[in-house]
Amino acid sequence: MPREIITLQLGQCGNQIGMEFWKQLCAEHGISPGGMLEEFATEGTDRKDVFFYQADDEHYIPRAVLLDLEPRVINTIMNSSYSNLYNPENIYLSKHGGGAGNNWASGYGQAERLYEDVFDIIDREADGSDSLEGFVLCHSIAGGTGSGMGSYILERLNDRFPKKLIQTYSVFPNLDEMSDVVVQPYNSILTLKRLTQNADCVVVLDNTALNRIAAERLHIEAPSFEQINQLVSTVMSTSTTTLRYPGYMNNDLIGLIASLIPTPRLHFLMTGYTPLTTDAQVASVRKTTVLDVMRRLLQPKNMMVSTPVTRHTNHCYISILNIIQGEIDPTQVHKSLQRIRERKLAQFIPWGPASIQVALSRKSPYIPSAHRVSGLMLANHTSISALFSRTLQQYDKLRKREAFMDQFKKESVFKDNLDEFDDSRESLQQLVDEYTAATKPDYLSWGSKPADAAEGL
Amino acid sequence: MSEFKIHHHVSALMDQLNVRGTDTVGAEVYTEMLLKNTTPYVTTNVSANQAKRKIAESSKTPIEFLAKYDDLKSKNVRELDSLTFLLSKVSDDEQTKEVLEKTFKNKAEAVGATIQAHDIPQLPPGQKYTPQAVMDVQMQIQKLKEGPAVSQITSSEMLRKALREKQDSRNVNVPAQPDWLFQRPALTRDFIVGMEAPTDNKIMPLGNLPTMMQEQAILDDVLYCMQGIEGKYILARALPDRYAAREFMIDQSLDVSLMEMVKRILPLASNYSIVVRFIEEKSAYEYGMVNHALSAAMRTLIKDYLVFIAQLETQLRGGSLSLQKLWFYIQPSMKTMDIMATVANSLNRGECIGGAVLSLLHEKTSSLIGDEKGQELCLYLTQSACVPYFEILEKWIYKGIISDPYAEFLVEENQTIDREKLHEVFNHEYPLERIPVFLEIVAEKILNTGKYLNVVRQCGRDVKCPNAAEVVYTLKEKKYFEQIEKAYNYASKLLLDLLIDEKELLARIRSMKHYFLLDKGDFIVQFMDMTEEEMKQDVENIMPTRLESLLELALRTSTANVDPYKDDLKVDLLQFDLITQMFKILSIDTSMENDYKKYRSDPTDLHLSGLESFSFDYVVKWPVSLVLNRKALTRYQMLFRHLFYTKHVERQLCSVWVGNKSAKLYGPKSCRWYSAAFALRQRMLNFVQNFEYYMMFEVVEPNWHVFQTNMLSVSNVDDVLAYHIDFLNSCLNDCMLTNPQLLKIVHKLMMVCVTFSNFIMRLGHTTEVQVDDMLESKRRTEKGSDRNKFKTKIISEHVDELLRNENFERTIGNFDANFERLLLELLEKIMAFANHNSEVKLLNIVYRLDFNGFYTEKLEALGAEKAVLDASNHSSESGSTCSWPTSSFTTTRPETARYVPGRHQTSGRHGSSSGSIS
Repeated sequence: MPREIITLQLGQCGNQIGMEFWKQLCAEHGISPGGMLEEFATEGTDRKDVFFYQADDEHYIPRAVLLDLEPRVINTIMNSSYSNLYNPENIYLSKHGGGAGNNWASGYGQAERLYEDVFDIIDREADGSDSLEGFVLCHSIAGGTGSGMGSYILERLNDRFPKKLIQTYSVFPNLDEMSDVVVQPYNSILTLKRLTQNADCVVVLDNTALNRIAAERLHIEAPSFEQINQLVSTVMSTSTTTLRYPGYMNNDLIGLIASLIPTPRLHFLMTGYTPLTTDAQVASVRKTTVLDVMRRLLQPKNMMVSTPVTRHTNHCYISILNIIQGEIDPTQVHKSLQRIRERKLAQFIPWGPASIQVALSRKSPYIPSAHRVSGLMLANHTSISALFSRTLQQYDKLRKREAFMDQFKKESVFKDNLDEFDDSRESLQQLVDEYTAATKPDYLSWGSKPADAAEGL
Repeated sequence: MSEFKIHHHVSALMDQLNVRGTDTVGAEVYTEMLLKNTTPYVTTNVSANQAKRKIAESSKTPIEFLAKYDDLKSKNVRELDSLTFLLSKVSDDEQTKEVLEKTFKNKAEAVGATIQAHDIPQLPPGQKYTPQAVMDVQMQIQKLKEGPAVSQITSSEMLRKALREKQDSRNVNVPAQPDWLFQRPALTRDFIVGMEAPTDNKIMPLGNLPTMMQEQAILDDVLYCMQGIEGKYILARALPDRYAAREFMIDQSLDVSLMEMVKRILPLASNYSIVVRFIEEKSAYEYGMVNHALSAAMRTLIKDYLVFIAQLETQLRGGSLSLQKLWFYIQPSMKTMDIMATVANSLNRGECIGGAVLSLLHEKTSSLIGDEKGQELCLYLTQSACVPYFEILEKWIYKGIISDPYAEFLVEENQTIDREKLHEVFNHEYPLERIPVFLEIVAEKILNTGKYLNVVRQCGRDVKCPNAAEVVYTLKEKKYFEQIEKAYNYASKLLLDLLIDEKELLARIRSMKHYFLLDKGDFIVQFMDMTEEEMKQDVENIMPTRLESLLELALRTSTANVDPYKDDLKVDLLQFDLITQMFKILSIDTSMENDYKKYRSDPTDLHLSGLESFSFDYVVKWPVSLVLNRKALTRYQMLFRHLFYTKHVERQLCSVWVGNKSAKLYGPKSCRWYSAAFALRQRMLNFVQNFEYYMMFEVVEPNWHVFQTNMLSVSNVDDVLAYHIDFLNSCLNDCMLTNPQLLKIVHKLMMVCVTFSNFIMRLGHTTEVQVDDMLESKRRTEKGSDRNKFKTKIISEHVDELLRNENFERTIGNFDANFERLLLELLEKIMAFANHNSEVKLLNIVYRLDFNGFYTEKLEALGAEKAVLDASNHSSESGSTCSWPTSSFTTTRPETARYVPGRHQTSGRHGSSSGSIS
């Protein structure tokens, strides 16, 4: 009776990172692409049943639901060696297969129509677990399926499972280069409203930062999707490592995220990982220590979220959780914390106690690592609002010109009016405001001011 | 001596001296002092002599004192030197003297009669008590403490009956001596006095004979006397007591020069008498094999001596022996006999048996350094006496068996105690007086060696020590030390291998750590999930069997499943909660006892919930139970309950988080109402989690590492035991379980957290129910598609309304104030504690909790406020209570106050809208 977690993969991006994630998990637990336990992995002390369950023939099946409105990515998966891993009943492809055309409204509308089918699968999966802890959703916020369908599913999940946790791994679009999706800002803003209101914890995977990291840290000229997705899967697998390799603490999802998220809306988490290597690059092995890893994790260049370089001095950490893996002398942790505190390497909120929590975790014994210590940081930092502000700006630019509105007006959500846009914009603006307010000592009484302003109107 | 023993003695002494333990000076303070200052073997002969002199000088009755001292010394009473030393210290210390005098006066008045009964020299009341008097009292006390052995020495009884009684108390089965031994008085080589001897009337007074004849006659008599037979002219006197020296009556008419010569020779006869009496007495069963062996050795010497007398007699008969010649011949024998008689006398006086005999012999041998012949003789005696003792020793250290029918050996076997409980016996102490002095240093080793072998034997293994050579007593080379060392190494290695390799001790301990120290977190989470309902109930309503089966299930379905020892884990429901248990343990005989009583005025009205009384238990089998004994298990349980409860609190707070997560749907308006509650929850969670992190990653885990490294180099089982207990103790210490003040605060903090979570969850529950009702009534009128939006709206309005309630705000404020006050108190106490002690580990909590300096300011403010309050003579407690709320509400109050009209407006509007809905 573990605390199971069901993974939902939506759209092109969601399914791609999902696939990498499962590959990684299989490798870590010694599960073959076919779902069978490898010879060497039979004696493990890991928990596979949080993310997998066993079929009658003992083979491990991921608790995953694969959803897409177009067949391309899912077909790739089904043609790969991992095709037998998934439960075929959990793979849902829209019948007409046309995709959402990068249109949030289309994805949302289609999801509404497919509601029964999709939730049949999810309900079945949920019933199959004894004490479901929550859902993990992988998607991007810029496209059509991941954002639109994802938004709809988030809303419904919240209705149907109000006591279950919903965590998302949301890929934010690369803002450095021109996107082929022109309505990206529209999609993003509409999705962000749902992420704010319906998800409990959003792990932000910023494509801008991921590309930068690939280029700067890993020295890859033009990083491919796969290389980027490998980074993502590293983050995803490491952030769940305490669930799969139980230790003293953080052995359930709630224990992980409750301390990270003090107030319910400020639940957008940044990640950082060090040391980063690719397969080709193992040669450059550094000496890693706990302090070294923890200090690197605090450097902005290792963060997988691109926040503006003009560092607002008052942006600060709301909370930090470091998951450290490897051979660790527990006394080092305290020394490192002390050093970080003395040097003031991290700025924290003024309105409450906050600290760097350090969870020590075991590593998979089946994956050789060149580094003695590696670490993942999950951080709640107020500067993430910059990401939202940027989205707001881009949205406003587009919206002013009323550009590309026709596609949206066709869909049922916007049939009557465009209120949903304004609503979403307002809610996102509020989020930005709240993050800004969280940098100030009087944050706890922040809510009263806008309320008063609204009252005055 | 263990800490507890010292503690016990200290409190006994304090009782004795009528010293009341105060808040500042309790028994434990002295114990600590003693523990720190104890250095073994401080008293040397020199210092003892000095001390003796000093006492004699300051005493009013120096002669009596010295006599007493010599008396005790001759009885070979151990600790005499240390006592003298102590007394001289006391006589130096005016203060102590005063206290003692006072106490003695009180005591004398109160229980004068009983003291007199104990032979204490009577002191007329009113007389000024001199130090000597005090010392005498002390001496008496000491004597009383030393128990029956000493008092029997002083008693002049010479009856075997008394000895029989003593045997009974020594629990030795000794065959009785046959009666004829006592009925036939002639069965002795000693003088027979007072027997109806055929009186020879022909005896003339010697004076009538010529000197030559006199010499012949007296020579004859002397030779008789030398072998324990009365002569014609030399008669033996009856003995005043059993061990007295024999005295003789010589015909007074003997020539003066001859008389003088005879008088010089007669001590030989007297010594002979003593030795022979000694041999005969000590050959009885009850004196033990060492005495038997010694007697036998003496008998051999006596035999030689008798042969020698026979030769003398031949010379006498041949007419070539004169008194002068005799005197010349017997010189060596006189020496020998003298030594033997001294030995016999000391042994008699000390009633020595077994080890004590050997000690005495050893000391005697050592003291005869320079006198080669004498030493050789003594060595012979000692070696012979050692043989049986060393045989027992060999059996013990090579095989782990005790065959000690007369209870002479330093180790005592207690067969009545069953095997599973042996670990308690395992640590038992051995009677000091049984250890021969020369083995004192290795006594511990001897005990352990046999103990280890014994354990191994009991596990059904055969013990064959590879280097089992005969142990022989030598004066200088101390070869037996090496042999004992070797045997010890072998035994400890054998047992250690048995425990670690065969019984997998380390794996066991690791398994204990999984469960008791929550190492296997997923198992704990699972177990808590499954037993949630059970744990809420009162202990009386919980079925242990159900818990057992849930435990079993949790074990099977978690990673604990791979642990081979998981089936040894059991459920235990204790009758007291952790805090009571800890206070009970900590408060024994300390000033804390009152604190504890105040804290829990009536423990009987407690209704323990399952959670509070729950603990794991672990089945440990022999011989692993040597290490994982009850003491260790209890420590594990204490740690477990502490950690488990903290885990529970964290869980509660996390449930509150889940319950509150829907709040993000509400408008920012209502946000201000619950943000205070959220912030408080966050602070609690921060505290609890950091506390857990601290305990697990900074206390348990590092200590475990230390333990493991220690275990790598461990060479015997006692070290394993010590390391293991060390590990547990430092865990207990660093988790604040041994500090009642801190523990109390932590416990209260947890209580606040739990009450708070219950409050919030109850609130959430009622909200849900009411909203559902409203939805139900609303469903008919509204379209389904809008339902969710509507529901959200209703909830947010409802919550608004609920939260607007002044009560809610006040309650949260109360929780907040309470929590803050306690937490600050904790931080402050920890810092104060860390300042006073070198123990800095606790400070890590402060670091963790106050990582971003959130509490620093408040602590400073509190400190300042306290200073002000102290100045105005207020108690600090009430000061801290009111200090925080004022400072916190200064930030929030004005705003809330300003918006009061707006609030009324909204509430009115909501009221009307809800009215229209219904």
